[in-house]
Amino acid sequence: MAEGVVFDLGYQRHEGPRLGRRGALRALVYDGLRRVFGLRRKLRRKVMPFLLVAIAVLPALFFVAIGVIAGEFDASATLFGHPEYFDLTGAIALVFCALAAAELLVPDRSAGTLAVYASRPLTTLDYLAGRAAALAAVVLGFLYLPHVVLFFGRAWVSPQGFGTHVVDNIEILWQTALGSAVYMVAFAAPAFLVAAFSSRIAVSAGVYLGVMTISGPTSRALVDAGFDPLGLTALQHHPGYVKDWIMGSSTRTWIPEDAGFDAWVSLAVIAVATAATFAVVVARYRRSA
Amino acid sequence: MDPVVTATGLAFAYGDIVALHGVDLEVPPGLIGLVGANGAGKTTLIRLLLGSLQPARGTITVMGRRVRDEVLEVRAHVGYMPEGPCLPPDQTAADFMVYAAQLGGLPIRAARQRASDVLTLVGLHEERFRYMGEFSTGMEQRAKFAQAIVHDPDLVLLDEPTAGLDPEGRVEMLDLVTRLDEFGINAIVSSHVLTDIERTCEWVVMLDGGRVLRSAPLTELSVAEEVELQVLDDPGRVATALRGAGAEVTVDGTELSIRHPDGDPFEIVRDVLAELGDGMRRLGSRRTTLEDIYLGGGNDG
Repeated sequence: MAEGVVFDLGYQRHEGPRLGRRGALRALVYDGLRRVFGLRRKLRRKVMPFLLVAIAVLPALFFVAIGVIAGEFDASATLFGHPEYFDLTGAIALVFCALAAAELLVPDRSAGTLAVYASRPLTTLDYLAGRAAALAAVVLGFLYLPHVVLFFGRAWVSPQGFGTHVVDNIEILWQTALGSAVYMVAFAAPAFLVAAFSSRIAVSAGVYLGVMTISGPTSRALVDAGFDPLGLTALQHHPGYVKDWIMGSSTRTWIPEDAGFDAWVSLAVIAVATAATFAVVVARYRRSA
Repeated sequence: MDPVVTATGLAFAYGDIVALHGVDLEVPPGLIGLVGANGAGKTTLIRLLLGSLQPARGTITVMGRRVRDEVLEVRAHVGYMPEGPCLPPDQTAADFMVYAAQLGGLPIRAARQRASDVLTLVGLHEERFRYMGEFSTGMEQRAKFAQAIVHDPDLVLLDEPTAGLDPEGRVEMLDLVTRLDEFGINAIVSSHVLTDIERTCEWVVMLDGGRVLRSAPLTELSVAEEVELQVLDDPGRVATALRGAGAEVTVDGTELSIRHPDGDPFEIVRDVLAELGDGMRRLGSRRTTLEDIYLGGGNDG
């Protein structure tokens, strides 16, 4: 009987293809997605993100379940149409953004891993774009998933039949997608900015949530005192106002609206603030490189 | 053979503090030592090689590619082990190595294979599923070394690879560095521990105050050119006779260091002792160490 033989293959050079910058960027984005949800990390890193997703989706499942039991989905009875659902998930999305942005940027700096990125075929801009893309993807998914569940759940219990309901209400899918994108940009950009300057995840999340939460009442007080232009500082209110504009709804009175601004102004504020945020973050990372 | 690194008139300053003063350098393939005290400019030079700093003046070429023009191509073929921490504590060694290989441009399948191979190579195969936050300093250094070579670079930059290691860990790390040559990977090893460089490298670049003191093969720097003699009787009498025969002599107690620029110092010692009839306790060649050269301002050897 032949005995086992151990072959010392020594060091093998990599003779295959190298994907360069494209491959590095793709790996960076995938790593970001895994990191936010704590995948391939300790159990405790998974608890918060999945708990928040569950909290965001559960109401949609609940309304669908009621529909299944009652045999029909009664939107007016539940008071929760798609526009209102944005208001429900908005606060949870803030917490999710705070944690996700901090998780994406802070550990790389505190653990010194930026030195590894600096030795790979990636520019500073690539690194930040990769992290921002991961953040955008998870936050967009977080915001849009409940609407998809709600929409197809309604279609499932619709007396008109699934197909007819989907075809008749198809505009809801793109409207909610667009609304989710607006919320994503408006919430994720400031979270990214704060995370870029923080040395601890808890501090980053705390500062972001504090600023976003306090901006509403502060802005309201200033508008009430007659400083209407400062209605634009109500950071949390811009995406809701734009969402109502997109969906043709009016779920509440938004501060920029009270201050006399049109919804497109809120959209412009979001766009300008996001561009400025990214420029500041790039400058911060280039200076510390 | 083409040089691995070529620098011409390379200058860099942090504000008013000049880190490199117009460095001209040509480094051959192999294991290269980069020595110098803290603040000599070692880390600055490494960061210029990686393209993470831009020189104020001059050009720098790595593996035939100008860093300024082809920085990403350079980085795809260069590995870097930083002096400080660089490992995410909440990731397992296996996961991080796969990721580090992918960041280096390797496709996922090759990245997985190489991560496994490299962790075995550095002796972390058994620990590959442990979170790196639980690693000892020795394991951390080996994991840092592994991430630097996991994407199979042509050149690896090792910044103080033995920092913080105990004697056993230091020997293991130096063995790994020495093996890079057999893998076909060039290495620039930055260290202020001169004995580490003497043990691992074939060529040494000495930096001091942002200037290159020496750049030469180690064998050339450490040739036996001086003998040490310990006499039984009056060292002064022997020293005088040696000087009379044309030797340069320094006396320290009963020990004499003898150089003879025009001939073999052993022969002149033999002749002088025979002529005086004096006895000796010990006679041997004095090997010039990097420390001697460094402390002598790079002019010895």
